[in-house]
Amino acid sequence: MSAIRIVYAIARADFLERVRRYSYLVTLLFAVYLGYAAGTGKISLRLGDYRGLYTSAWIGAMVSLVATTFLSLVGFYIVKNAVDRDRQTRVGEILAGTPLTRITYLLGKFLSNFAVLVSMVAVLALAAVAMQFLAAEDRAFHVGALLLPFLFLTMPAVAITAAMALLFEAFRFLRGGVGNVLWFFLWTFGIALPGLTGHSQLDPSGLWTVFQSMVPAARAGIPGYVESFSLTVADKSVRVATGFHWNGVEWTFGVLGWRLAWTAVAFAVVLCSAWFFDRFDPARSRRKSRVKPRQEGASAQAGEAPEIKTARRHTATPTHLSPLPAGPRHSGSGRLLTAELRLALKGYRWWWYAVAGGLLIAQFAAPLEISRGPLLAFAWIWPILVWSALGTREARFGTEQLLFSCPRILPRQLPAAWVVGILVAALTGLGAAARLALAGQHAGLLAWAAGAMFVPSLALALGVWSGTSKFFEGLYTALWYVGPMNRVPGLDFTGSASGPQAARDAVLYLGIAAILLGAAFFRRARQLRGT
Amino acid sequence: MKLEIENVSKTYRGKVEALRSFSLELGPGVLGLLGPNGAGKSTLMRILATITRPSAGRVLWNGTDVKNDPDTLRTVLGYLPQDFGIYPNLSAIEFLDYLAAVKGLDAASARKRIHQLLELVNLADAARRPLGGFSGGMRQRVGIAQALLNDPQLLIVDEPTAGLDPEERVRFRNLLSELAGERIVILSTHIVSDVEAVATDIALIAQGELVVHGAPEALLAGVSGKVWEVVIPSGELPTLRQDYLVSSTAHRNDGVHARVVADAAPRPDARALEPSLEDAYLATLATHRNRVSAEAVV
Repeated sequence: MSAIRIVYAIARADFLERVRRYSYLVTLLFAVYLGYAAGTGKISLRLGDYRGLYTSAWIGAMVSLVATTFLSLVGFYIVKNAVDRDRQTRVGEILAGTPLTRITYLLGKFLSNFAVLVSMVAVLALAAVAMQFLAAEDRAFHVGALLLPFLFLTMPAVAITAAMALLFEAFRFLRGGVGNVLWFFLWTFGIALPGLTGHSQLDPSGLWTVFQSMVPAARAGIPGYVESFSLTVADKSVRVATGFHWNGVEWTFGVLGWRLAWTAVAFAVVLCSAWFFDRFDPARSRRKSRVKPRQEGASAQAGEAPEIKTARRHTATPTHLSPLPAGPRHSGSGRLLTAELRLALKGYRWWWYAVAGGLLIAQFAAPLEISRGPLLAFAWIWPILVWSALGTREARFGTEQLLFSCPRILPRQLPAAWVVGILVAALTGLGAAARLALAGQHAGLLAWAAGAMFVPSLALALGVWSGTSKFFEGLYTALWYVGPMNRVPGLDFTGSASGPQAARDAVLYLGIAAILLGAAFFRRARQLRGT
Repeated sequence: MKLEIENVSKTYRGKVEALRSFSLELGPGVLGLLGPNGAGKSTLMRILATITRPSAGRVLWNGTDVKNDPDTLRTVLGYLPQDFGIYPNLSAIEFLDYLAAVKGLDAASARKRIHQLLELVNLADAARRPLGGFSGGMRQRVGIAQALLNDPQLLIVDEPTAGLDPEERVRFRNLLSELAGERIVILSTHIVSDVEAVATDIALIAQGELVVHGAPEALLAGVSGKVWEVVIPSGELPTLRQDYLVSSTAHRNDGVHARVVADAAPRPDARALEPSLEDAYLATLATHRNRVSAEAVV
């Protein structure tokens, strides 16, 4: 069988496995929503205070940039499970026993990732066509101007996303939450790269390509234009620039060459991933530092401890079990809380606690505004992986059947997990809370408490509903970056940017936390009722 | 102590019928639930363990419908699913302690119980190692231990010996026999020898239906005088398989020794044998399939 046939077979099987899941329907609905948001002006491309007339060129550029921007961020979290699925289902072990090469396997997975993202791009392209007819601001329909931006701008960008998802899966330490958080910052860096370096070609997203093409037309057609260019969300103050005439990006050999180069980068990333991919060999990816010498041996090399062979091993009548005390069993909620806390914090290395402790001490020592601002922000991103496991741990490790067959599980286990999340927030942010209390800033303290409840509630709700931690990891990182780090009022759930509105924002976040908690309970109750 | 299963049916999405009007009444003892792959055993186990709701019918524990009040059963239930996970960063003690807390056991009782259970399943020496490094068999033994944490009145074990070596399998069978005194144990498996060793009752399930329920002796009586051994050249084996139900074969110097289940001797030189449970199981299953096929034709 030729390598191309094998790549196709892998890509096809992976793609079919994905599109037959309900989650794929959700991703398509997300693409439909993006198209709707762009079509109704909820997301708009702006040149300062203006936008262009809805011509084919403008709509094509705008919707393709929406696709590029959102799908390169969110799409990463959607497709970053191609290899992991084979690992979880153990199909990977079967594949590893065949002559399949790492490059062939990953190229197949890359094509599947790419196909999933392209299907979402296709939905947005259709939305762009519909948008021009529905808006009817310009009746001249130019297929090339409308659709070529999707081909030349969006496709290379989502190809890079598809490849990067594989690269992250190839590295053990990037497979989980660390990778999910890191991607947000890498994505931000990728968007800002041309601005940071001054080289407009270093533009994987294609945003600058459109920007540079529009600037001359904007200077000529928009009075007082100061080279502002942005994709904005929910801003209705934009006006139509009637004097602005733009026929779309001129697809010169130079522009196309760079877009092709970025597509080549995607393939290079896949090849690079193949170099690091462990080919489902647990011995290759195992962290040697955690192996105790007495466990080393033939079976330990395969990732397992050796079977216990002791003198006690016999097949005679087993040890007698003493009966448990009669009567109803209601251990204190504190016992379950302690067990959940241990479960949540188990497995973190000493340096994780050292950093959390350092941030805590710094909160006590620093001036109040620093303490409740950047220090609290860092203190509340550090335990992101503790929170992201809330509500997902059972699905991730396959313990649902063991837990869901236990008595009074809903009113006991889920609240215990939630309280653990709050405890982690409270402990890591204790310094800022103490400083606020000592300064008599009761509104600030209320905002802190609201934040401490909001974060685990968000994690629990997203975890229970999605069954995976990556959506919380992606969304929370973005919210944390925009809110607490960039101090955007209303989005800063720690309350440090709210100023006099701190109490109002706190009440708002408490309300959202209550809704999220309710949503988590609702979903878990349905899971417990069975299908 | 009584578990009643009344006309339970389960239809999954896509109109897949996993169980059809399944009824059974159980008291203390070990019920061996036998059936081929896809017969509906695991679906029944999940329904009895309150994980899945039946599409129709009722499951009653001491007269209480568990659909309305699942905690009545969950409080006294020990459940070992066919596929289950563990938390890899926890040790066996920590994992069992976590589940003991979830099941509502107080700390002192849990500590004593966990210690005894780890001895019981031969994992005392590995009790403090992370579960992530355990082999499949060791994980299975942790699963067995967790099912016994709350001293269950109803113990449901789904393919419990999967992954265990022969020595551990025998150990587990002995354990089940010892536990069966004053509780209901449901052992679901397709390994007939496991059932043969411990079951006081047998239920045979096929295509979502209860085919037969009774004591092992009753099942064996059904094939009494119908099991034969014939010695044939290996070339004749395909023909023999076509004409008769062959339950096992063994290649020897004088030819193939085939164990045949048939109403009359398949050949003049056939030798009558004592029936085994496997013979009875295969014969009952074959009869059921023939009946279903005949009904489908009609």
